[in-house]
Amino acid sequence: MFFRQIRRNAAKNRKSNGLFFGSLVIAVIAFYTLLSMDKQDVMRFLSTIESDAVRKLLLLVPVIYVVSLFFVFFLVYFSYHYQLNERKKELGLYLMLGMKRSSLFAMLMAETLLNSLISLAIGIPAALFLTEAISLTTVKLVGLGIIGHKVTWSLTAVIGTAVGFVAVQLISMLVLSIRFARTEPALLLKPDAADTQEMAAGKSSGGFFAAGCILLGAAYGLGVTVLGSLHVAAVMLTLILGTVGTFLLYRGAGAVIAGRIRKKGPERPGLYTFTGRQIQENVLCQYKTMAVSSLLLLIALSCVSYGIGTVVGSQAATAKTADFSIQDDEDGGTGEEILKVLKSRECKKYISAYYPVCLGMTDAEVRQVSLDGLKYAVSSLRGVKNKDIQENVIAYMDDDRGYEYFIAQSSYNHILEAAGKEKLSLKDGEAAFYTSMREYPDRTDIYRGALKNGAYIEVDEERYQLLEEVYSDNVVADRQITLEKAFIVPDELYQELMPDNDGLFCYNVLLKKELTEKEGFMQTLQKVSAIFQEKGLVYESYLSGIGRRLFFTVAGSYITIYLGILFMVIANTSIALKYLMQQQANRKRYRTVLMLGADIGEICRSSAKQIYLFSGMVLLVSSVSAFFAIWSMFNGFFRLPYGASLRNVLILTGAAFAVFIAIQMIYVIIIERTGRKDIRSLNTR
Amino acid sequence: MGHNKILEVEDIIKIYGRGENRTEALKGISFDVLEGEFLGIMGPSGSGKTTLLNSIATMIRVTSGKIRLKGEDICAFRGKELSSYRGKAIGYLFQEFELLDNLTARENIILPLALHGMTGSEAEGMLKKLAWHFGIEEVLDKFPSQMSGGQKQRVAAVRALIGEPGIVLADEPTGALDSRNSKVLMDRLSAVNEEEGRTIVMVTHDANAASYCSRILFIQDGRLFHELRRNVQTETTEGFYERIVTVLSQLGGGSANVL
Repeated sequence: MFFRQIRRNAAKNRKSNGLFFGSLVIAVIAFYTLLSMDKQDVMRFLSTIESDAVRKLLLLVPVIYVVSLFFVFFLVYFSYHYQLNERKKELGLYLMLGMKRSSLFAMLMAETLLNSLISLAIGIPAALFLTEAISLTTVKLVGLGIIGHKVTWSLTAVIGTAVGFVAVQLISMLVLSIRFARTEPALLLKPDAADTQEMAAGKSSGGFFAAGCILLGAAYGLGVTVLGSLHVAAVMLTLILGTVGTFLLYRGAGAVIAGRIRKKGPERPGLYTFTGRQIQENVLCQYKTMAVSSLLLLIALSCVSYGIGTVVGSQAATAKTADFSIQDDEDGGTGEEILKVLKSRECKKYISAYYPVCLGMTDAEVRQVSLDGLKYAVSSLRGVKNKDIQENVIAYMDDDRGYEYFIAQSSYNHILEAAGKEKLSLKDGEAAFYTSMREYPDRTDIYRGALKNGAYIEVDEERYQLLEEVYSDNVVADRQITLEKAFIVPDELYQELMPDNDGLFCYNVLLKKELTEKEGFMQTLQKVSAIFQEKGLVYESYLSGIGRRLFFTVAGSYITIYLGILFMVIANTSIALKYLMQQQANRKRYRTVLMLGADIGEICRSSAKQIYLFSGMVLLVSSVSAFFAIWSMFNGFFRLPYGASLRNVLILTGAAFAVFIAIQMIYVIIIERTGRKDIRSLNTR
Repeated sequence: MGHNKILEVEDIIKIYGRGENRTEALKGISFDVLEGEFLGIMGPSGSGKTTLLNSIATMIRVTSGKIRLKGEDICAFRGKELSSYRGKAIGYLFQEFELLDNLTARENIILPLALHGMTGSEAEGMLKKLAWHFGIEEVLDKFPSQMSGGQKQRVAAVRALIGEPGIVLADEPTGALDSRNSKVLMDRLSAVNEEEGRTIVMVTHDANAASYCSRILFIQDGRLFHELRRNVQTETTEGFYERIVTVLSQLGGGSANVL
């Protein structure tokens, strides 16, 4: 009997709280996805080449999991509070009829456990399916068919998800049911009176709204202007202003609505005043939830756009210029030896092209290279956002004076050709500027400014004007090589500058495309690596480049998008629950309004208007804040690498935003329908 | 006082449930209410008096029988007709006031007018007159949580009367009030009935409140059991009260009912 009751109650709870139940299933999916990260194809691949970074990232996973559990706890707590309130009378009756408090407690806990297990039973298979899909999509998105896909599932992730999820549920229910079981049955049986004190108290809070607007405005201004510097004080101030501003704004919004009702209400027929007062009351009673949800949505939107930025940025950063770079090395093989291997029959099968990369450093004692022209162009730049970087660039030019890197034009043209770009043609007295620091747009911007400012270099007192464009294509297969600055010069000058050696740095090798497509990039790469190894060549391959790129893509996007989705679900569910809780308390009002002559359709419209405006207010503030947050993010501390399209990032962020709105709409429509059903049931005729 | 029938209740039956659970709440009740009458409906708990009032208020659909207000069959009303009837043709006064506690007194009172499209100065004029009559001018801009029980019920009474309904239905209006506030409310309602000829149908347990009526119907087990008329010209409310108490004692505590 007891168990049947538990089963029946649990089923009823699921049915009447479908929205919450759905959110729980999403939470289960998100948890498993996070915890099973180490089993994802991409991660397995990465741990073979970037094991240290992957290890560090995976150490971070439990921390993120615990933080998400903490947020989910509040969501679950709110929800159970709402559900138990709905069942107050029923629980009171059980006690009145002689059920022991311990049995009531056991019944509630058992119901929770049963529903948690059902959420897991739905969530885990869905998560397995989703992680497979993510695994395949990531590989595809990254554009490499190199990773053999393996269907995997992680037992530890399943256990971790189940334990965390069930614990959160049981702890929330434990706290609540102790409270409910202690309440006198008579109090449980008494119907709830809507909390109306706030209405009377809400009159004098108009000032809060103004203060909130001012603080938020200040936070936006601060974010856009000074956040780029990443000074702790500036960041903290922006965060505090934004958070306090959001709370104050919602705290005072009720008074603004009241003012509007007082002004317009007497002239408006129908349920205008009633609807307005309902919204005002919701805002007054729920301003904290609104502020928290709005901030969570803001974090969610920012997380997702950061994630998108990371993906787009890393995609743009690397146009492949070579599959292998074989070093000109005394021990490993000189230029001639390398050429011999490359020309051999077994290599020819795989290789489509190779070219020498002439890159070398001048000797200050032999050649006089002066960067004064460049230095002057940098120091005379005006309006640089980040002065520290400007100073650092100048200071850097003074180090190792005279020892500068040069690249031969013909080599660089090979690189450009391999990357599918137009070749460079230098005229007499011209040189081009190269930097590999494309991931640091602030630095590159300074160089670009200096080039436009007429920067030049002098070699043996002869002046070479630098072209206005900054070149930053990878000179070797692995992007590991860091060149703060190098100068691309005509081959003749290059030969003159490097008289002691042949000026050869390495040979870049490209694999046959049709072969990599047919046999797989990874397989071909491994076969050729084996040949080079056998011949004793010192080489590096594009593989480590892929590793690093993938790691940043995965670490950056995966976790931020995960957090984004989780925050969004929590924000939406808490708005929905708080709204329903408020509605539940004043169901009787609709009956009164019905008796006063409103028709059912009119009341339904009023109820719909209330939830649309209520959630709209949350979304509006978070959208405006997100706009400024994203603006300051891409303009400030998270600059996209040069060549990455901000437009693409913004389009994708816009799409993510649309998805957010769509998801929120689903929540709102579900609440609206629940409300409508409730109202229609009032019409007992 | 006119003598036209404003409300005709004709053989109404209300059955709840089906099969074994079938309960007959009203077993064929018929009566008329004349324009300007102050009719009381009394009876023990479960006798069907609230079911009867709710049927007239269109909150319950009767199983059979007819209810006509000014000759129109209200049982046939649907949709717009129904909401128009509820707000305009009848005013309803609840036992627990049922003021919307997030609206001020003024907004509560004006709501039925606004629902029927009347706003602005016209509504304000009507509000002022009634607010003065019921002595609630000072609380008009207060929320219900800032008012006393008596003030709340008077605000509710003004809300029921503001649309100048043909008939006011009151369900135990003094049920949640102390004797002093009950008297204030009944004095005002009675004055509205006498001075403006407003028809009132009131369900009550309270013999004191019932003594303000001009006629009382007693209901027991879903049937009309007795009727008392007060001679308005010659009989005092005290005298009428005595007669009511006598009937009640027969009805509820009379020897015939002792099992």
